[in-house]
Amino acid sequence: MASIEKAQAARPGAQTVIGTGFVVDGEITGSENVVVHGTVKGRVTLREALVVDAGGVVEADVETATLEVAGQLTGNVSASERVELKAESQVTGDIRAPRILISDGALYRGSIDMDVKR
Amino acid sequence: MATNDGSTIIGETITVTGNVSGEEDLTVRGRVEGSIAIGKTLIVEQTGVVRAEVQAGNCVISGVVVGNIAASESVEITKEARMVGDISAPRVIIADGASFRGRVDMGDVNVDAAGEERPARIAQPVRPALRPPARPERPAARLPERVPVREEEGSDEEERSFPPSKPPAPPVPVGLGAVKRKVIVRRK
Repeated sequence: MASIEKAQAARPGAQTVIGTGFVVDGEITGSENVVVHGTVKGRVTLREALVVDAGGVVEADVETATLEVAGQLTGNVSASERVELKAESQVTGDIRAPRILISDGALYRGSIDMDVKR
Repeated sequence: MATNDGSTIIGETITVTGNVSGEEDLTVRGRVEGSIAIGKTLIVEQTGVVRAEVQAGNCVISGVVVGNIAASESVEITKEARMVGDISAPRVIIADGASFRGRVDMGDVNVDAAGEERPARIAQPVRPALRPPARPERPAARLPERVPVREEEGSDEEERSFPPSKPPAPPVPVGLGAVKRKVIVRRK
């Protein structure tokens, strides 16, 4: 119970956390922020933000509002607002989003499509 | 983002379909369908719904679980919980008010362990409690009493051997009768 309170206090916007060492193999859907420290395989469909933390691994097709990657992401991404690839991130796959930021140091291979009319 | 103790939280609006596995705690406030395999504690909060085969160290259920649970340590079903499925765990706690349908298996090994513990717990306090007071009191007070009692009993037996000699006392009246006869004889 203590860990729940910690998570709420530390990150009020992110109700969902996939912890270090956790593996989710399947589909994640919902309408709130998801932070991934562990591994997610399959498909992720969110109306809010997906955050792949440093150390987090996502091997999935992602459909979300905003995406923030500091870890590894393999799969096609479709974001309605924004995608940010941070310095240590390793991303493979096609990205469709109106705003895409790639920081210096990010490793990316794939195609980018910003011509999203939504 | 950097601080994470490894525990996982599935938020209220989140649905996870598939397999969830890990070595730390998992807290479910949303939905999980499929299977869960974790090393530590599964917490299903009141808003949580789990339709899955669960393997965990401990389970604390306050929400809805449909599926079988195999826990290596304990399963606690709180008063808000509703569960349908079988439980296999050495310790199972079902609170008053909980709704549960399914089988419970606490295992043979733990029955043996409990069987070893319980007699030991009963035997250790009870036997010393009975024996030490019993030995000092009885040998000191009662045995000496008993010994004289037995001696008295022995004397009683000797005395009792007299009362049987009292029935032979009728021969005494016979003797008395003889005396009477003698008297009668004298009158003649």
